[in-house]
Amino acid sequence: MGLVNFLVYLAIMMGIYAILSLSLNLQYGFTGLANFGQVAFFCLGAYASTIVVLVFKMPFILGLLGGMVVAGLFGYVISIPTANLKEDYWAIATLAAAEIVRIFFLNEDWVVGGGPYQGGSFGIGGIPQPLRSLFSAYTYPFFYLAIVLVCLLATYLIISALTRSPFGRVIKSIRAGDNLPQALGKDVKGFRMRVMAIGGSFGGLAGCLWAHYHGFISPNQFLPLETFIIWAMVIVGGKANNRGAILGAVIIMVFYNSTRFLKDYLPIEEVTLASLRMVAIGLLIVVAMLFMKEGLIKEKKTLYYSE
Amino acid sequence: MLNVESVYKSFGGILALNGLTFSVESNSITGLIGPNGSGKSTLFNVISGFYGKDSGEIYVRGEKIEGIEPYRIAMLGVGRTFQISEVPEKMTVLENLLLAPKRQIGEGILNVFLHPLKIRRENEQSLKSAYEILELVQLYDLRNEYAGNLSGGQKKLLSLGRILMSDPILLLLDEPTAGVNPTLVKDLIIAIKNLRAEKGQTILLVEHNMKVISEICDRVIVLNFGKKIAEGTPEEIQKNEEVLEAYLSGSSKRELLHEDSRGQ
Repeated sequence: MGLVNFLVYLAIMMGIYAILSLSLNLQYGFTGLANFGQVAFFCLGAYASTIVVLVFKMPFILGLLGGMVVAGLFGYVISIPTANLKEDYWAIATLAAAEIVRIFFLNEDWVVGGGPYQGGSFGIGGIPQPLRSLFSAYTYPFFYLAIVLVCLLATYLIISALTRSPFGRVIKSIRAGDNLPQALGKDVKGFRMRVMAIGGSFGGLAGCLWAHYHGFISPNQFLPLETFIIWAMVIVGGKANNRGAILGAVIIMVFYNSTRFLKDYLPIEEVTLASLRMVAIGLLIVVAMLFMKEGLIKEKKTLYYSE
Repeated sequence: MLNVESVYKSFGGILALNGLTFSVESNSITGLIGPNGSGKSTLFNVISGFYGKDSGEIYVRGEKIEGIEPYRIAMLGVGRTFQISEVPEKMTVLENLLLAPKRQIGEGILNVFLHPLKIRRENEQSLKSAYEILELVQLYDLRNEYAGNLSGGQKKLLSLGRILMSDPILLLLDEPTAGVNPTLVKDLIIAIKNLRAEKGQTILLVEHNMKVISEICDRVIVLNFGKKIAEGTPEEIQKNEEVLEAYLSGSSKRELLHEDSRGQ
């Protein structure tokens, strides 16, 4: 694989994970919702989009929307039974919800249209790439990178607009506890559900982009581990800062992929190195927690000026 | 304005509110006093819906408040502050105030994208009243400071300012002057009185400072063991035998009679 190809691949991964990290940042960084099941949105977006495009033969754009709607609805729905849970219990519930989603796709192979060696643990391949025929094998990744960047930009602009708005003010007050916003007449549960719906739909968007880029998805790509990689991005980059969330995704993705190159310099087997990268990310989280609690880019103070 | 009718509330074996009955007149300032553990804060939590009650009824402006969430009670116009200030650390003083107005257009997700101009106008308006209130509670210079960096007294002032921004009809203040410096307390007394005069608000406040009580309250209600043991004007209350009995532990009695040993 040429270096340029690799860099484009890396940039696409950074873009997709940056969307996931922005979504988690809205939930955790701004609203204080410790979602340990972020990967569920990723998974649902990937599967829903695949089903829309592959089984129902719809265009890519509808797959994208379908993935966002399904993941957003999932976010909304799981916040109903969990509305009264305290932070730590809520985190456990979301972790479980994400596993339920993964195990659902692991066992229910019919959802992807059936057929031998398709669905369930076999995963599903042949997911079409949008406008593939217009490009050569060499130029297509650049085009896909453009799609990812447009989606990332849209995500960034929408989430930033929300976090700067009066809506953002309310969710930041919820982060500090329910009492105050309740006393000020804010429907805390309603706000949480809306945050989960928006966070979910952008997580779903990332899933669609992932599925159509790789052309193959399977349940074991959506293990809880993925959630923690996204968490590392938010913690290292800077919680409650949207640029920080993107920076975090860039840094963690570099770390994550660096092992490919380290194998040339270190006398360690490739398999061992691949496992070591998780250790490296774990260390990065610990270092961030100890020495820069607010991450690389701190939360920005919201200032108001009168006329 | 507020009618509390034989309300009971217990925590395990402790009867925090024991058939409490009283009412608060419209446009009045009523003080709520009583020894520690007499049920004052529990009462606030029950009225504002943060605690459920075991039995009894509560009416606000004739409307029965029963089994509805705290935020709905707040929307009915019941504003409350907390004994221990609830202050989101990572929001500035000004943001805290701007959070408070009810039914803001910009709180709707779609509105953020559909009505940016309306939201800006709404913000401008809120800013104007926020600046006025900041002058009142003397936090103007700290407006862009994180609320978490304020002192305890300043947090009390911020809580008071913030609840005023939400324009409540019935205001429940839990020790609004605790930890606030005495000069400023005087200003606050004037401010609270003006508020009632201008906006016709009804105020119920828990307060340990008898000076504050006698300067601003029209009536005082005394609680002990979750029951009302006396009610009257501040002067009457200070002469009431039963009240003095409740406060019999020496220091509280002196407190009630204004004989603050340090203040002499």
